[in-house]
Amino acid sequence: MSDQTLPPDGPEEDEDRVLAAEYALGLLTEEERAWFEERLDTDTALRAEVVAWDEHFAAVILDDVEEVAPSPQLAKRLQTILFKPEKHSFWQQIWPYGLGGLAAALVLWLSISTGILVPVDSRLQPDLVAELAPTPDGEGLVIRATVDTTLAAVEVVRAAGTPPDGRVFELWLIAGDAAPVSLGLLEDGNSTLIDLPQDLLAVLPGALLAISDEPPGGSPTGAPTGAVRAAGPLTSS
Amino acid sequence: MTPQEEVENLIARVAIGDRAAFNHLYDRTSAKLFGVCLRVLNDRVEAEEVLQDVFVTVWNKADSYKVNGYSPMTWLITITRNRAVDRRRAMKLPPVPIETADLMPDSKPGPEASAIAASEARQIKACLDELPRARAHLVRRAYLEGDSYADLAQATGVNLNTIRTWLRRSLMALRECLSR
Repeated sequence: MSDQTLPPDGPEEDEDRVLAAEYALGLLTEEERAWFEERLDTDTALRAEVVAWDEHFAAVILDDVEEVAPSPQLAKRLQTILFKPEKHSFWQQIWPYGLGGLAAALVLWLSISTGILVPVDSRLQPDLVAELAPTPDGEGLVIRATVDTTLAAVEVVRAAGTPPDGRVFELWLIAGDAAPVSLGLLEDGNSTLIDLPQDLLAVLPGALLAISDEPPGGSPTGAPTGAVRAAGPLTSS
Repeated sequence: MTPQEEVENLIARVAIGDRAAFNHLYDRTSAKLFGVCLRVLNDRVEAEEVLQDVFVTVWNKADSYKVNGYSPMTWLITITRNRAVDRRRAMKLPPVPIETADLMPDSKPGPEASAIAASEARQIKACLDELPRARAHLVRRAYLEGDSYADLAQATGVNLNTIRTWLRRSLMALRECLSR
């Protein structure tokens, strides 16, 4: 074949272009690929060359490869894998929200001081407040709790989101390492006022509020049984 | 919104954890991406496992899409194609033979060499058509089916170094044509 007697590779640029194509096609040996990827880290022109090849080859695929519907089971499997993760323990679900306390307080302070978030209710003179951030199970929930320690009451405002069909939301207090204490169920409306036991008032600052979904009437065990849907720390308002 | 903007928008929403957007993106793209897996693996069960893996990656890595400079379908296709090729190599599937007769009429350009690219996206196809037909076939095999140099050597009975030389020369010619 005439090709075998052709002169060796041209200038360095051409060599890089072909290497980029070979890389895009997965034709390089393991050592060549490792070496090439090392260069990619620092060489933006080389990276652009790879992207350009990928774009061209993808255009061929878009045109030449026929669409074939995967089985419907695959869509279902993905829903299970991605969106119904194995139930984590209550504490595993809760801990990031405790760590996020400082950030949440800052965001809250910013939103109040910039007027984005105006306190909704004037019945209470809140001195503690918690923004309950939705967990992965609580997508779409916007819940805010304000506490008036003088009146010993907490008002929970649910601005968006509803419990799953046939379930109710229950509010929990977690102070330090203590077990969650039920504060009561959220009413159907968007605002619920709940009286707080006097003996809890001292532990409120810095404690976590959490919302779980429970069967109608609330948790049958006295501890959360459903998924934690939202949680956030109580901070001074 | 163009279809491209639509897919881009869906990926952006997936990046912030929008499940509805993910389902929509799946409906929009899974048939094409499954076609890619099947083309490389030629086995529905294996192809579905790879596609599942691809969509898990899309859900987890959608936030990295913006920084890598790809158009949205290319990003999805490249992930899919590369995963399928990895799987194929791990399975050590033998390559589909290439008829020597297909390789030999080597000096003539492909039948559609004169066709003018209808759009920029078709540029690559026009350039592939400028290559000798057998050479274009090797490039397509490498891309669409994920053949390695060793696969192509085995499939054609041609020595590996020769195959590599052929393919590299074809890629060089392609690159030249593409930059015209």
